[in-house]
Amino acid sequence: MKYLDLAMNAAESLGAEYADIRIQKTTDETVFLQNLSLKHVESSVLEGYGIRVFKDGAWGFAHNHVFSDEAVLATVQKAFEIATLSAKVNRKKKLRLSPERSYIASYRTLLQIDPFRVPIQEKVDLMLEVNRILMAHEGIRRAVFYLIQHKDEKLFASTLGTRLDITHQFIDPVITATAVNDSDSQSRTFDEGGRATGWEWVLSLDLPEKAKHIAEEALMKLNAGTLGPEERRTLILDPNHLGLTMHESVGHPTELDRVLGWEADYAGISFATPEKLKNYRYGSEIVNFVGDNTLAEGLATMGFDDDGVPGQKWHIIKDGILNEYGSTRDTALEIGLEYSRGCNRATYYYDQPINRIPNLYLLPGTQPLTPGELIADTEEGVYIQGRGSFSIDQHRVNFQFGGDFFWEIKNGKLHRPLKKILYRSNNPEFWNACDAICDDRYWRPFGVVNCGKGQPSQTARMTHGAAPARFRNIRVGGSQ
Amino acid sequence: MNKKIHEYIREHIKADDYTLGIYNNESHETRFAQNGVTQHIAGPKIEINLKVSFGKRSGSSFTNQSDETSLKKLIADAEAIAQMAPEDPEHIPSAPAADLPEVENSSPATLNLKPEEMVEIVQRSIDKAIALDATVSGMCEKHYHEECDFSKNGFVGSDISSSFGHSMTLKKGDVETKVSFDAKDFAAFDLEREFAQLSSQATSLADLRGFEPEKIAVILRPHALEELFWFMMWGMNRRQADEGFTAFSGQLGKEFLGKDFSLNSTLKRPELLTRRYDREKVPASETCWVERGVLQNMPVNRQWAQKIGETPKSFYNFYVPGGAATEAEMMKMVPRGLIINRFWYIRPVDMKVGELTGMTRDGVLYFENGEVKHAVNNLRFNEIPHEVTRRILALGPSILASSISLLPTLLVEDFNFVDKTSF
Repeated sequence: MKYLDLAMNAAESLGAEYADIRIQKTTDETVFLQNLSLKHVESSVLEGYGIRVFKDGAWGFAHNHVFSDEAVLATVQKAFEIATLSAKVNRKKKLRLSPERSYIASYRTLLQIDPFRVPIQEKVDLMLEVNRILMAHEGIRRAVFYLIQHKDEKLFASTLGTRLDITHQFIDPVITATAVNDSDSQSRTFDEGGRATGWEWVLSLDLPEKAKHIAEEALMKLNAGTLGPEERRTLILDPNHLGLTMHESVGHPTELDRVLGWEADYAGISFATPEKLKNYRYGSEIVNFVGDNTLAEGLATMGFDDDGVPGQKWHIIKDGILNEYGSTRDTALEIGLEYSRGCNRATYYYDQPINRIPNLYLLPGTQPLTPGELIADTEEGVYIQGRGSFSIDQHRVNFQFGGDFFWEIKNGKLHRPLKKILYRSNNPEFWNACDAICDDRYWRPFGVVNCGKGQPSQTARMTHGAAPARFRNIRVGGSQ
Repeated sequence: MNKKIHEYIREHIKADDYTLGIYNNESHETRFAQNGVTQHIAGPKIEINLKVSFGKRSGSSFTNQSDETSLKKLIADAEAIAQMAPEDPEHIPSAPAADLPEVENSSPATLNLKPEEMVEIVQRSIDKAIALDATVSGMCEKHYHEECDFSKNGFVGSDISSSFGHSMTLKKGDVETKVSFDAKDFAAFDLEREFAQLSSQATSLADLRGFEPEKIAVILRPHALEELFWFMMWGMNRRQADEGFTAFSGQLGKEFLGKDFSLNSTLKRPELLTRRYDREKVPASETCWVERGVLQNMPVNRQWAQKIGETPKSFYNFYVPGGAATEAEMMKMVPRGLIINRFWYIRPVDMKVGELTGMTRDGVLYFENGEVKHAVNNLRFNEIPHEVTRRILALGPSILASSISLLPTLLVEDFNFVDKTSF
């Protein structure tokens, strides 16, 4: 597109040390069905461009939705002026960009059936069928189906000579059944957190069958027992649940911008400071976390980040030791890294990219171990499935999690369903308490599509993954 | 331009009914961290949102382009969705014409504020932090928002608002604390006053000692109160209550909250930002949600209001009438307690019970015998906010906590802390 060259030439003429332009079209289709009432069906298109100029150790970022030569040039000018203003403040604290080569490349999310080409009627029919199945269960008072389809089409150019053409998309079906009786209300949700793939994935999920399960489990949960006061107990966590736990307690603390204090005013900082690299025991020896923006169907797999840095795969925690961070071109050099790990992502065209969690997963155990064997090997404990309440302090140390479904384990068997379970722990206690992880046959990916961070606030997506894992001696109990 | 867009939509639409919203924004945002600028963003945004209906079948579409091709597609997309959609048993027609309250939501001082002046504010903030041998991180931001809404049934509404925000988190050694200013009028901003407060908070936190979680009296400063009550108010939804999902089920008209607690949305406080109408185009009106502990009203949308024979209403700002107690007086009313600046990462634990969890942030002070003794580590709470209002012992004067909240400091007994963190 002509605007790429126009903007980059203009930025160089003005004296930018570095500049890039990201022309981005975001298309969303959202359908929200509740109790057979189609509450919301929307098709939305958001299109524009953001221009970053780096000058004298500072950024300026200007955006616009008007596509014309004049508007593009005015936006470059604005970005340059803002960078100049920023640089006055940064005289004694200049930002630096890590070196990067140029790329000319394109990337497309692999899919068989483009969800945007599936008629809405077909989607709504499936959603209505699922809704009816949920509502057919006596005691289910609210049946919700929320379907999100999202596509980003980006053209990126930088003064390094990089030219990228990226189309990334994902789909996320979420189903919730809520049961109500005179004294309580309990929900059960099917939510895999979205996947960067096509409609074929939704068809493979057999959602009508999933609906029966979640309706039954919502009702089971309504009548489930509680656990009583908090005690040190054994936990077995399923991959979906672990996806959120690792997001909060490993993903965010290892974002380099937080480590550097750049999120101090809002999202918080990190206990995992640079002097701990290569020596801090974050978890037990079987705990290995990998950042992987090349993961197939990963929500953060898009070929390149918004710095124009290619997707990479690296150990963030290796054999339990803090190994490296997720980094960007403007954070890497601050701790002496030689290059960025490609974690700079923006949500919409009008967002300046910020350091985000990559696809991040817990490697499976290396010894054969099934979930059944793991439970059989556990005398007493609690098995948690799915995601519930979550909260963590601003240094990412102390946390409390709930879940979506709970089983009490007794004598190596699932003994009875439970509800209102919470566990509390902290870094590094929690990941050091991990003493068993099932093998790679049970490793499953789960996405996060609503990771909020930054000022102005942005929402990013990434995929996590794990096999069921066991944690010893964790404080587990009931809510009030 | 908004009228032209509306005329185009009105002329070309085939659907029986429509609602059109046009939103224009212009923002300037300077983000700084560790005594330097890390992000600096400026630009305009436009959003055009169309909802159409054929009978009881509806569809929506959204674009940020106002050329004819884009508007044509906007209509086509919304109509295509509506034509295939099943009939919605809960469908309601678009909003009718309404008398809207007159409010002044924008300020010339904010609108005239230049990027150079904003950067100067950031520079002065950093200089002050350096003078204290500390680092400061924060955000200086200015927003202009213009909104126009139209419906087939005659609703025409518009609103113009401005806001200015400046936040600062100071870090010196292990001490971390924050102040924030958020108001429609930049003229009310005073960096000297803000930084003096920040510096005073930092000084008070210098002597940090370990503290174990327990049920203890707390003085909740307005920002902490806003964060806590925001989640309580999220649960105050008439339909959810009527259908049995929340703690508010069956409580309307009853003394469900503390008798010292009242909550209003008000048009009478000019310092508050007040939307003239809500997302369903229901005009803002003087509303008492809680009066001396009695639950008087809950937000209710047009569809549910019609079903139950109520008037639709929603929160548009929050005013909790305060008292006269100072923090010094509050500290003398209980043997010991904690002063909470802010909370962080509050999340629901149990919607039916109304239970929340969250952490303290940006400074916790321990007091005893009427005096601040030292700072303590941050703590986790599990609490039920409507029950917290039943344990209010005293209220301070209401102050502007944010552009939409006028809240007092509260003294509350037996606040339930359940865990602590390492800092």
